[in-house]
Amino acid sequence: MKKILSILGIAASMAAYAQGTLVINNYTIYDYRGEVIAHNLFAPCYPRVVNNTPIIVPANSNTGTGTQLQYDNFRDQYTSSLYPMAAWSVATSPNSTTIRPWDHPALVPGGTFSNNTRWGMSKFGMVYAGTNNNVVGFNADIAIAGNPCYTYSDFFTTPSGANSAEMFTITSGSNVTTYLQLY
Amino acid sequence: MKKLFLSAAFAALTLVSCNNEGSAVNTVETMKTPQMENFDKAFKSLGDPQNRPTEEERKRNTSELSERRKALLVPASKELILSTGVTEAELTRKTGGDMSQIIVWATQIYMQKSDEIRKNIKSDK
Repeated sequence: MKKILSILGIAASMAAYAQGTLVINNYTIYDYRGEVIAHNLFAPCYPRVVNNTPIIVPANSNTGTGTQLQYDNFRDQYTSSLYPMAAWSVATSPNSTTIRPWDHPALVPGGTFSNNTRWGMSKFGMVYAGTNNNVVGFNADIAIAGNPCYTYSDFFTTPSGANSAEMFTITSGSNVTTYLQLY
Repeated sequence: MKKLFLSAAFAALTLVSCNNEGSAVNTVETMKTPQMENFDKAFKSLGDPQNRPTEEERKRNTSELSERRKALLVPASKELILSTGVTEAELTRKTGGDMSQIIVWATQIYMQKSDEIRKNIKSDK
């Protein structure tokens, strides 16, 4: 009985979401440097998929300049995005992390990792454009609101209030886009 | 005298040609339509102090952009959709006035236009 229920549960969670599109809009004069995590939204929160090398979205790179980061899915980002990620770090449990290439069968749309994860959080630090120098006070962990796995705020402002960052979704039917905005 | 005149004309031509070179540096940013421009501005304006999430909005348990903030994106979204030749009646019929549908539709149009501009820039070079 328990088995049937868990199978039903897994099937339901698969039907409930696919990872959706991720857009990073950097409207600031600083470079974004960080990680984005897509993960299962139910405890124990695995699988979890993270970019294998740091993502850098340069200053003023957003839809307005046609240079936003846009990942339609784990696979197609490699050929269609301005910020191609060749491999993803995939964890299926706390003790099991493997580096998978972008075209790994489980990462493609409809694959296990794609079906069971959603863009949930980002850990980032802003640096002065073209340098490795941190912008003091402009770094954070942010997560989408209502995330049971990462309970960080979905909104962040620098101590001065001059800059902010947030994560939100815009959903229409089965079309989910997750935005990470840096102002 | 004739020679001098010719070389002056040649110099002028060279100057004009170099000048054109400069103006041929087009980017998605400079080639956007006014409707695209406004759509961008709306998205960016979500970060303006008065448009940031309120205390109340931050207590919600959903990641979805709040209705108040979606409403900030709707006028520019509608404008962009209508600029493609879609009529007001079609827009209402297709979306039922649903803000998310309007924004998602406009976003698709925006991305498509942005891609087209990028392709045109490439083929110009």
